[in-house]
Amino acid sequence: MGEVRAGGGGGCCPPMNLFRSESMQLVQLIIPMESAHVTVSYLGDLGLLQFKDLNADKSPFQRTYAAQIKKSGEMARRLRFFKDQMLKAGFSPKKSATQADINIDDLEVKLAELETELVEINANGGKLQRAYNELVEYKLVLQKASEFFHSALNSAAEQQSENASRQIGEESLDTPLLLEQEMSTDSSKQVKLGFITGLVPRQKSMAFERILFRATRGNVFLREAVVEDPVTDPISGEKVEKNVFVVFYSGERAKNKILKICEAFGANRYPFSEDLNKQDHMVTEVSGRLSELKTTIDVGLLQRDNLLQTIGDQFEQWEFLVRKEKSIYHTLNMLSLDVTKKCLVAEGWSPVFATKLIQDALQRASFDSNSQVGAIFQILQTKELPPTYFRTNKFTSPFQEIVDAYGVAKYQEANPTVYTIVTFPFLFAVMFGDWGHGICLLLATLYLIIREKKFSSQKLGDIMEMMFGGRYCILMMALFSIYTGLIYNEFFSVPFELFAPSAYACRDLSCRDSTTMGLIKVRDTYPFGVDPVWHGSRSELPFLNSLKMKMSILLGVAQMNLGIILSYCNAKFFRNGVNVWFQFIPQIIFLNSLFGYLSLLILVKWSTGSQADLYHVMIYMFLSPTDDLGENQLFPGQKTLQLALLLLALVAVPWMLIPKPFILKKQHQDRHRGHSYTPLESSEDNFQLGANHDSHDHEEFEFSEVFVHQLIHTIEFVLGSVSNTASYLRLWALSLAHSELSSVFYDKLLMLAWGYNNVIILIVGIIVFICATVGVLLVMETLSAFLHALRLHWVEFQNKFYEGDGYKFYPFSFAWTGDEDE
Amino acid sequence: MGFLVTTLIFVVIGIIASLCTRICCNRGPSTNLFHLTLVITATVCCWMMWAIVYLAQMKPLIVPILSEGE
Repeated sequence: MGEVRAGGGGGCCPPMNLFRSESMQLVQLIIPMESAHVTVSYLGDLGLLQFKDLNADKSPFQRTYAAQIKKSGEMARRLRFFKDQMLKAGFSPKKSATQADINIDDLEVKLAELETELVEINANGGKLQRAYNELVEYKLVLQKASEFFHSALNSAAEQQSENASRQIGEESLDTPLLLEQEMSTDSSKQVKLGFITGLVPRQKSMAFERILFRATRGNVFLREAVVEDPVTDPISGEKVEKNVFVVFYSGERAKNKILKICEAFGANRYPFSEDLNKQDHMVTEVSGRLSELKTTIDVGLLQRDNLLQTIGDQFEQWEFLVRKEKSIYHTLNMLSLDVTKKCLVAEGWSPVFATKLIQDALQRASFDSNSQVGAIFQILQTKELPPTYFRTNKFTSPFQEIVDAYGVAKYQEANPTVYTIVTFPFLFAVMFGDWGHGICLLLATLYLIIREKKFSSQKLGDIMEMMFGGRYCILMMALFSIYTGLIYNEFFSVPFELFAPSAYACRDLSCRDSTTMGLIKVRDTYPFGVDPVWHGSRSELPFLNSLKMKMSILLGVAQMNLGIILSYCNAKFFRNGVNVWFQFIPQIIFLNSLFGYLSLLILVKWSTGSQADLYHVMIYMFLSPTDDLGENQLFPGQKTLQLALLLLALVAVPWMLIPKPFILKKQHQDRHRGHSYTPLESSEDNFQLGANHDSHDHEEFEFSEVFVHQLIHTIEFVLGSVSNTASYLRLWALSLAHSELSSVFYDKLLMLAWGYNNVIILIVGIIVFICATVGVLLVMETLSAFLHALRLHWVEFQNKFYEGDGYKFYPFSFAWTGDEDE
Repeated sequence: MGFLVTTLIFVVIGIIASLCTRICCNRGPSTNLFHLTLVITATVCCWMMWAIVYLAQMKPLIVPILSEGE
């Protein structure tokens, strides 16, 4: 399967949209230096060329345009700075209505200017703010400390007067004689008590007090007052709860110690004078300066806001421009410099259909940049595997993403998306069959689709984004759920006689037997879906289980056959006869001789109403194929057919396993021999090509490796066909769980509440029912059915044909530089 | 309505749907083929589902036995 023939329309299928990835070509562009920037910019607008990195061995700093990248990186940094500032100030960048044309060089200068201006404003504002906060603290200190001094003065005066009165009143023998003297000497001898006032954070105040006490050995007097409101710290700018303190000390040494401690505790000190007049004076002065500063700060803020506003108006545009610039230079760095240093050489992949568009863009670019020489466009021949590119639209892209999540398709291999678009929602709906729930899902997704324009422009959350992206997938899922719901005849688990009266009725008028023997079929089969009479009957589960189990097998076998047929399409497309004869044919024989036969038996049993036991038939087909079938015979000649099918299945296994490795070996040898005898041509061009070819072809052919690979492949298929068929039974299990859960919710919540004949209980019951339906059935069940459908597609369907080892086409485009840079 | 009649109805619906897509959004042969494939796949899926359920009820081996309460 290694060979790729580009552009071939061969194979069983005519070219179908989305079935094969776009045919790609490796192109080379030789762009004159002076028009390189414009050219790359136009190609980015076009978005259909994936540049190859021709300088992969060079580090980012060695490349041609490292300086320009650094420059645009600097601009991006400035923009981020503005964005931060705007966020801090509570602005959001608005979409500018006016798309003013702006040169990137002008923008650079402008951004630098704006940045210095903003930094300056911020620095000034910071300084002012700090001064302001200091003044606020000072004012607090002045207030609190003056309270201390005032109260201290009062108490001192009281004491003095008391003393004086005592002196006058109780002058007796007891009075020390030297009292007078003592008191008079007091003032002169008095040690000068100094004091320091300031603010200390409240959390640290205890420790502060303790340390002060220890450091001065108790020779201090500390008073603290709580400041009720948190204070903005001038240094850190944060709101902190603080205490005002006054420390009295004596002596220069104690003062130094205290100052150091204050510093260590981040306690801000403020001068304070004992003099009352001075205090008043200070207070008025500080208040005056505060109001002055306030107005200055306000003016500064207003100026900054204005600046940010003007930046915000054009921010998006600038950001887009800078991103574009950066991505252009990144791309230019991938181009290799010509020897003459006059042109740049670019190589890249582009879809074949884009050739004309790219040539147009090149022409426009060379015209617009007034270049004397136009860019040269040529297509290169290569053996490299091109990238995979599907042109999807909003409807097909979620399905393509489902497939891509498993693996990106190999270049031009059959794309399962074409069938996934229908089979994925269909298998989902088989597990989610209830038309009531389907309608709920439909309404939800219709809401998303109707408000598509609004949602697509705004940023959504993670889950919402996913829902929105897959809205058309959900729409299909909902539509198919409604259909399968009608087939299952369930509307929130309630059946309706929509299409005809039930086919069953009582045996007689009295209807006595209906609970023991059951009803009998009196009319034609219910024309569309499950007969409503089954609902709630005692034989409902056995009937539905048998039906759904068989349905799962039938659907599974059909889908697996489709997968194998797609492998035929692939083999035909890549002209790989070996895969047709030694992979596709034995595979389809093997699968159908076992499980195709089982499906046939199911159909025969249904249409004849036979009582045969299919398990028994299938098991004894292997254990004793020659035995007589007895009562399990469904049709004449069954034994012969079974023997033939068994033989075919047994033959198919070695058919798959043995011939292919030998044929591959022979092919390789032939090619090799032929190659060594071809005459060497003298032309240089051919020589180069030949050299290239040689290196490619000289891969060692390891027979054992190929054989083991084939062995694994065969075992996987043989075992897989059994386990995959069994895996489809999940359709039955999930659908059973869904219908049982919904009928439990209906019976045990809604009907129970209804039975009480009480409005409040009914309302509560309805609310609980709605919550359970939405939470469990519409959210959880949708998810689980989605995951199981996903698995059935990824594993059971795609492993029949899908290689999925390609790589995606990522064209250079400005459309998605937006999110990727972040 | 028998099995064949309803099958015929499915076929007719499928043909009408593919004609509709052909007329409503005619966007070149490859896209038309893609739409046709979608319509055919969808029709076949729906038909299979219906046919399976219909066949299963045609010759019932078990009949509905009503529960005691009803």
